[in-house]
Amino acid sequence: MDGAHDLEEAYFERLKTSETWSGIPTRPLYRPEDLRELDYGRDLGDPGEYPYTRGVHRDMYRGRLWTRREVCGFGSARDTNARLRFQIAQGVSGLSVIDDNAGSLGIDADHPRGIAEAGVQGVSVSSLRDMEELFDGIPIDRVSVAFDISGLDCIAWMAMYVALAERRGVDLASLRGTVQNDTLHFQFCGYGDSCPVDLGVKTSVDIIEFCTRRMPRWYTGNANLYDMREQGLDASQEIAFGLSLAVAYVRKAIERGLAVDEFAPRRAFYCSAHVDFFEEVAKLRAARRLWARWMREHFGARDPRSWQFRFGVHTAAVSLVPQQPLNNAIRVAYQALAAVLAGAQSVHCCSYDEPIGLPTEASQTLAIRTQQILAHETGVGRVADPLGGSWYVESLTDQIEAGARRIMEEIEQVGGMIAAIKSGWVLAEVEKAALRRQQEIERGEKIVVGVNAFRAAREKETPGGVHVSPPGQGEALAAAVRDLRATRDRGRVSRALRALSEQARLGEHENVLPSMIEAAKASATVGEMLGTVRAAAGHLYDPLGVLPPPEL
Amino acid sequence: MRVLVAKVGLDGHDRGAKVVTQMLREAGMEVTYLGIHQTCEAIVEAAIQEDVDVLGLSSLGGGHLVYTRTIIELLREKGAGDTPVVVGGTLPVEDIPALEAMGVRAVFPAGSLMTDIVREIRRLAPGPADPA
Repeated sequence: MDGAHDLEEAYFERLKTSETWSGIPTRPLYRPEDLRELDYGRDLGDPGEYPYTRGVHRDMYRGRLWTRREVCGFGSARDTNARLRFQIAQGVSGLSVIDDNAGSLGIDADHPRGIAEAGVQGVSVSSLRDMEELFDGIPIDRVSVAFDISGLDCIAWMAMYVALAERRGVDLASLRGTVQNDTLHFQFCGYGDSCPVDLGVKTSVDIIEFCTRRMPRWYTGNANLYDMREQGLDASQEIAFGLSLAVAYVRKAIERGLAVDEFAPRRAFYCSAHVDFFEEVAKLRAARRLWARWMREHFGARDPRSWQFRFGVHTAAVSLVPQQPLNNAIRVAYQALAAVLAGAQSVHCCSYDEPIGLPTEASQTLAIRTQQILAHETGVGRVADPLGGSWYVESLTDQIEAGARRIMEEIEQVGGMIAAIKSGWVLAEVEKAALRRQQEIERGEKIVVGVNAFRAAREKETPGGVHVSPPGQGEALAAAVRDLRATRDRGRVSRALRALSEQARLGEHENVLPSMIEAAKASATVGEMLGTVRAAAGHLYDPLGVLPPPEL
Repeated sequence: MRVLVAKVGLDGHDRGAKVVTQMLREAGMEVTYLGIHQTCEAIVEAAIQEDVDVLGLSSLGGGHLVYTRTIIELLREKGAGDTPVVVGGTLPVEDIPALEAMGVRAVFPAGSLMTDIVREIRRLAPGPADPA
């Protein structure tokens, strides 16, 4: 099929497939007898009631709209601060920040191999000074902030954020937001070498423990289903892999000595909203039911909040293509609609230039407007779970849940998610899925407009322009870190890093976050703090093996 | 024919690089994938050592202009300036002329079809065993 296809053929064109994106066969029509087994109280329940298939809140969006936030991060902390303020002026209701590649690896902007990319793919934050600039003029006690950060850098960001709050005299108990803190899934994002599995889980649990005790309004982690789905997994796999990640942290936190109902109420999830509309709605509903049942059956959780699957949605970047880029805005709108009909707590809409580069002010504004039109014009948020009771959607929900439960049990049989990751089983599944998705497009089994159908000549320029990193940005960011190193109180930094190192050597159950907060206050850098923790656990100080540990 | 697929710098997104590697292999090419977090120097050294017919760079981290320029310069310095270099990944069409001016022989933005990638790579280095 191509742009200039036969008109008569087009007239009689039928759907390419009757299967969902994930390969679930569908019939042309669903009827009451398809749900003969369904028991309303047992399988659905009202919104706000176990098993939460219909939503975690009784009043859903009448109580509060979903949080409208857009992931943000580029250049210096000041650059990103300006964009955050711009977003606030456009009417976002929460913030979301992502760090650059150097940050993801846990190295500083002046690392010899970090300079070229400092601030290129996210914001460059190397120390508390940068964190202060990032949130300059932003009332952190009144705004919900999400850190879209998942490597070892999570704990450094938490240390710097807490240090920032304490310096500003803000009560930690008032801080509202989320740190992604899913170090395990980072193995599949290309940063695994910088975030060893056991050390990553240990620091994740440090964050869970600290926040549970000190930051009651903070979400201690999002299991990242989204990044897993982006690799090519199907809907059931997305839930199964993501929930299994979440289960791994629950186990480890219990091992640390926390009671499940103490911390599980502040756990959350980060999901994809992919392009197959009803499948995505069903998937998110299925995830809610499966999590509620799993937490009750496997962990004996008693607090209803421990059963609730609270989730943010990131629309599916992998579904977006650079060909005819404005089409992406349409894809995103459908995906966001699915997220809202499924009862998401928070939504990030991708910008249409997502497969091209970082968002511009213009493209990000359109993403924000997409959410606002959805919230205030379409009326879709008026009634909780409006698709509940649809014979089709309930059937799909059942099938996706059953598929996901099978995979979760398979993962349990090989010893849980951590064992499945270490054995390479998860990676093999992910790679298989990635290949399959590309083959489906090559063979025309899945139509992607502009890619294998309805193609047009390649654009000469991107509508609305593209984000460009200014020349010399990396050098300037590196120079700022060198300046910090030269001007800070060296004795204080050394003492703080020594204390951090000593605490980190005390063993797996010793929480390093309190010492890291002190190190952050002493102007230790992200690279120094994480290097210290890495070295204490027997890993290379510098994940890239270039820098030696500093003499303290 | 031999192809080297590489990711340079700190960008860790390598789903695409692995899929491309696999699909080029299925098309009958001998492909080495170097893995993530490579330096320009290591990539050029590997390209020369393995005497590759085409060097494919994958970039999703915004570093495509800087790193590609360095790699092409290094190839020339080491007398391997005739190695065709292709680049794929997340990059704006606005950068394609600059990449071509550096000497990049083909650019495959995200969303490119493998059939196109295979055809272009064959064209760049038609080996004796390939159906021309």
